[in-house]
Amino acid sequence: MRDGFPLGKGPLVMIVMFIIAAAFVLGPTERSDKEVLEFWVFAATHYDEYKAREALFEAAHPGVDVQITNFGGTMHDKLLASLLSNFGAPDLAEVEITSIGRFLKGRIEHVGFQDLRPRLEREGWLEKHVQARFAPWSFQGRIFGLPHDLHPVVLLYRDDLFREAGVDLSQVETWDQFVEAGRKVAADTDGDGRQDRYALGLSRRNHGDMFVLLLQRDGGMFDADGDIVIDDPLAADTLDFYRRLFDDGIARDYAGTGGFTEPATFALMQDGVICAVLSPDWYVGILKKYTSPAMDGKWRAMGLPAWTSGGRRTTTMGGTMVGMTKQCENPDLAWEFMKFSYFDTDALVNRYDTTRIIPPLKEAFANPVFHVPDTFLGGQRLGTLFTELALQLPPRYQNPYWSEAADIFDEVVLNAVDGRVAPQEALTELASQVERIMADDRLSEGP
Amino acid sequence: MNTRLSRQRWTPYLFIAPFFVVFATFMVYPLATSVWLSLHQSRGFQYQVFVGGENFARLFRDPVFWKSVRNTFTFAAGTFLVQLPLALVLALIVNSKRVRGRNFFRLAFFSPVLVAGVFIAIIFGLAYDTRTGLVNDTLSKLAFTRVLIPWLEDEQWAMPAVILAGVWQWSGFNMIYFLAGLQGIRQELYEASSVDGANAWQAFWHITLPSLRPVITFVFVLSMIGSLQLFDLPWVLTNGTGGPNDSAMTMVMYLYKNGFQFVNLGYAATIGWVLFAIIMVISIIQLRFFRFGQEN
Repeated sequence: MRDGFPLGKGPLVMIVMFIIAAAFVLGPTERSDKEVLEFWVFAATHYDEYKAREALFEAAHPGVDVQITNFGGTMHDKLLASLLSNFGAPDLAEVEITSIGRFLKGRIEHVGFQDLRPRLEREGWLEKHVQARFAPWSFQGRIFGLPHDLHPVVLLYRDDLFREAGVDLSQVETWDQFVEAGRKVAADTDGDGRQDRYALGLSRRNHGDMFVLLLQRDGGMFDADGDIVIDDPLAADTLDFYRRLFDDGIARDYAGTGGFTEPATFALMQDGVICAVLSPDWYVGILKKYTSPAMDGKWRAMGLPAWTSGGRRTTTMGGTMVGMTKQCENPDLAWEFMKFSYFDTDALVNRYDTTRIIPPLKEAFANPVFHVPDTFLGGQRLGTLFTELALQLPPRYQNPYWSEAADIFDEVVLNAVDGRVAPQEALTELASQVERIMADDRLSEGP
Repeated sequence: MNTRLSRQRWTPYLFIAPFFVVFATFMVYPLATSVWLSLHQSRGFQYQVFVGGENFARLFRDPVFWKSVRNTFTFAAGTFLVQLPLALVLALIVNSKRVRGRNFFRLAFFSPVLVAGVFIAIIFGLAYDTRTGLVNDTLSKLAFTRVLIPWLEDEQWAMPAVILAGVWQWSGFNMIYFLAGLQGIRQELYEASSVDGANAWQAFWHITLPSLRPVITFVFVLSMIGSLQLFDLPWVLTNGTGGPNDSAMTMVMYLYKNGFQFVNLGYAATIGWVLFAIIMVISIIQLRFFRFGQEN
């Protein structure tokens, strides 16, 4: 062989492999004669949910080929690039709630998604939904996406550990009462002089948990008009309360990079270091996956403690929308698919069944699937609790400068919790910085 | 005749044209575009406003950028002070005839390079957990007391955590360069020094190190460029946040953040060009320092 090929066996093998690979790349691809509806998603659970009903839609629409692709976490960058370059975007795309701001930059008419408000109003869908949930996907009066979810938040807690400390947490109604209960459950269980049991897990290093507590009080980063309101005294009061939860040994930071979905954080919960968490609907399934069956029956869920007696018992955390891009060639067909996936009760029942996500369409709540007892929670009807709380959902207003503001907000929360800055002063500075960024952006005025 | 001459003149250009077409498309054009972008506020090709040197002026006033510069140079310092000396020591060990199983150790030290950087970051993310991580557990066993270093939770520890992971990832790779350099040193030099009564340290100082100078220069320049372009390791370790108070934010992370999260393409291009200038200046200084290209 060495004599046969002048460069030896290795290069020959490489050349053959190159030719085979090139044949695959350049070879003929299967072409569909059907009308293609391209849909990009970023989460495997969402992909499974849509994929399960894809064939039903195609059967109802002969000649249509729905192509759903899960690009994972890189989807948003890919989508942004295709929208900015006006080339290569799909007909439909999901966007995650912390990412939508960057798609709204520039003049409102340059946003890459179509305004769905006319269709929603014409067909009367708005009032059938929990309307607060359109706020994250709206800007300057336009609605750029349909909400996939509501993500109401409950307090998920270790009933066994609170009862061991003599507390029936289900009787707690306000955050002040929770702090009192938290003092009873906080403990040094191994006697080494270090506290190793905390009533609540919260993130010290990012703004997420503090922000959802602020939303519960009708506060926020931006208001409905797009103005920054994070320097409001309400926000400073919330941040100060948040700081005191850490100072008083009520709250403990999550493990790892500070997320409550990390395995090390689940270990903290299983070991009884953290006894409660702020839990959106989607989180319960993940907690169950990591801690069941060892933790079956030990957890319970309740509405969040209110800020004042009789106040709101929930907030919202996370979210996804589906939007129709301006590059969509058949908007009517895309709209049909959106309605099939988002406004059809069967689709929403399937969504809840597979992901435990509460949908925004109120008429779906009556379905029995939302009221099944959950053995992980000692037979509690978790869906019933979530659907009741969902009606109190606070709005979360969106803004093109969300990413910049959130980035600075992380530092503010960390520095306030660690006692390096005073809450009001830090939030005022945050608001000033964001206002400067907004003022410096000449593209919002348009060329 | 003229036609043939003309054809002969153009034929070589035709042969080299494919390279230049690809080079112009994927290198020259993007570079030129990024210069143009750095002078604009830009959101894609359709929407932009000319701002002149405003992006550069803003960059020099931007505290997060300077923090990212400091972090990047901290990593580079960790590379030079820990990673490269360790790589040289490993190379000396696996080059020694007295070490049995040298090939096994060469493969073992090199093997982290075979693992993708993202996987290394994920594994180290788990190993760095304060309470349950392998690193603190090992330190606790060695120190006979419970060690609870908040590797990724505290701004003082975030960059050391990245440096440590970088040492694990790249020491074996640099070891290979040093090993190649060591194997190129003539044995007669050591034999002559031995006859002259030089001890091992003197032989290392007066023969090994000077002989390795081209390799050291190459490895230093390459490591500096790699350090300044650091992205995946801190990005995954800190879940894209840059760590507490941006304590592990590097220049390239900040570039990405501005380009894709804040959709400020002009500012991201500006960071890219400043990064290029820094790399170029430092590389020239390094080459001058090591007198690269001079025989004596």
